[in-house]
Amino acid sequence: MFKAIVSADTLQETLDSVSVLVDECKIHLDDDTLSIRAVDPASVGMVDLDLAATAFESYEADGGLIGVNLSRLEDIAGMADAGQLIQLELDEETRKLHIQIDGLEYTLALIDPDSIRQEPDIPDLDLPAHVAIEGRDIDRAVTAADMVSDHIALGVDTGDDLFYVNAEGDTDDVHLELAPDQLIDLDAGDAHSLFSLDYLKDMNKAIPTTAEVELELGDEFPIKLHFDIADAQGHVTYMLAPRIQSN
Amino acid sequence: MGNADLRQLAAIEETPFADLEGSVVAVDAHNWLYKYLTTTVQWTGADVYTTSDGTEVANLVGAVQGLPKFFEHGLTPVFVWDGGVTELKDDEIADRREQRERYEEQLDDAREAGDAAEAARLDARTQRLTPTIHETTRELFDLLDIPQVEAPAEGEAQAAYMTRTDDAVDYAGSDDYDCLLLGSPVTLRQLTSSGHPELMDFDATLAEHDLTWEQLVDVGILCGTDFNPGIDGFGPTTALDAIGEHGDLWDVLAAEGEHVAHGDRIRELFLNPDVTDDYVIDPDVSPAIDAARAFVTDEWEVDADAVARGFERIDAAAAQTGLDRWT
Repeated sequence: MFKAIVSADTLQETLDSVSVLVDECKIHLDDDTLSIRAVDPASVGMVDLDLAATAFESYEADGGLIGVNLSRLEDIAGMADAGQLIQLELDEETRKLHIQIDGLEYTLALIDPDSIRQEPDIPDLDLPAHVAIEGRDIDRAVTAADMVSDHIALGVDTGDDLFYVNAEGDTDDVHLELAPDQLIDLDAGDAHSLFSLDYLKDMNKAIPTTAEVELELGDEFPIKLHFDIADAQGHVTYMLAPRIQSN
Repeated sequence: MGNADLRQLAAIEETPFADLEGSVVAVDAHNWLYKYLTTTVQWTGADVYTTSDGTEVANLVGAVQGLPKFFEHGLTPVFVWDGGVTELKDDEIADRREQRERYEEQLDDAREAGDAAEAARLDARTQRLTPTIHETTRELFDLLDIPQVEAPAEGEAQAAYMTRTDDAVDYAGSDDYDCLLLGSPVTLRQLTSSGHPELMDFDATLAEHDLTWEQLVDVGILCGTDFNPGIDGFGPTTALDAIGEHGDLWDVLAAEGEHVAHGDRIRELFLNPDVTDDYVIDPDVSPAIDAARAFVTDEWEVDADAVARGFERIDAAAAQTGLDRWT
């Protein structure tokens, strides 16, 4: 059983943060939380998302699992205006999701969850550096790096107590340093890893500029990015595998 | 080569690369390399891959163009090389040699007549894997840290065996339908083509026709294999019906008054081929791109532009790790 009413913004924010990595996903409908965990086909980027029942206008569920085509569901959610409410109801018999937006009724065929790529195990990482940073600063770094390169290096300089971003292109370079007073928080530790901008750009799209983003970093280790959505009633963690620098 | 008629019996479905991510594929090296060799020769000017002393190494261009496909889709290839030629295959090889000689004559005619398109087509058909091609391909793979296995006899028999018995190997990779007769549980076809590969499923094939492995081999022998010409009038459907009715090859032959030379030995070549457990594969590939590039462009004088994009693609794909490394 699943029946819920949610604002269009909350639903869109939730779907967007997953659809930047995958086209289809499984959604767990537990009694107090909706959760999604997915990894992209190359196993490079992962998303782990929780949306509390309190993020909804109303929410009833009893532990079901559905499979959805994300772009289809996003298109439907896009039919609603920002503040409008969307009503969702699962028909267990037909395995369809009935969606109502102000008199518009859309019946969405669900996907067999078994046909969707298996949910990933979450890497067990104890990363030495923690950085809390504004979403807008991530956006600035990623946008600048993208002008010169396909890759971006993120690291922490423990000597100077800095979080830094490097991107080296064929001709131009981008460098950004943020000291603790320009950050929300910095817990320095040895960290330097290179990442594909393709992935980080997509993740960046889903990070609100006003969000407080917590980064966990290591030396040639995956990065974790944590941030809240839906007025802190939802939480997203992205994980991204590094590129290992070949000699 | 194998008998393409087997396609009619094989359980085959297209499989997206995304579903194969992270797998190890035992690739029939001869089958794979030959495809890229002929494509290169047909579409690339000979000056690009000919050294100053006249040695042709189109294989190096072809291999560098073909390899990125594996890495970009997160597949680790293990190339399995042919060992000795199976005695019974001599006839087939002699036939092919004769045909190649015919093509070579036609090629000379086409060149004399100035027909460039026909010459390119025939040039591709007259390619053979010379000792230089064997050696330089192996050395390139070594520099790129790509696992290689030397089969005692047929490469695809070894690839099929590894897929069946080695937990570290997920698929055999060959366009040859004989992989089915060799009992490869899952074979990826068209790894050299554009688009997604086809997955050929052994158990599903047996189940679909209610056959045992031995019976499937018998059907293959009736239709013809690399080791025997097949019985006149026997296509897959007829052979399947005959095995269904009579049970096995011998009873079918007895009922039809036919004979297959060395039938029992041919059966064994598929059911118990000469294979080995004596190999080591390390699927953690860390290619030395610069050394490999120098080998191809400096040592073997291949035009740098012809391989630049291929090496870039290998470099870009190989350096990206997956999260599964940390789980």
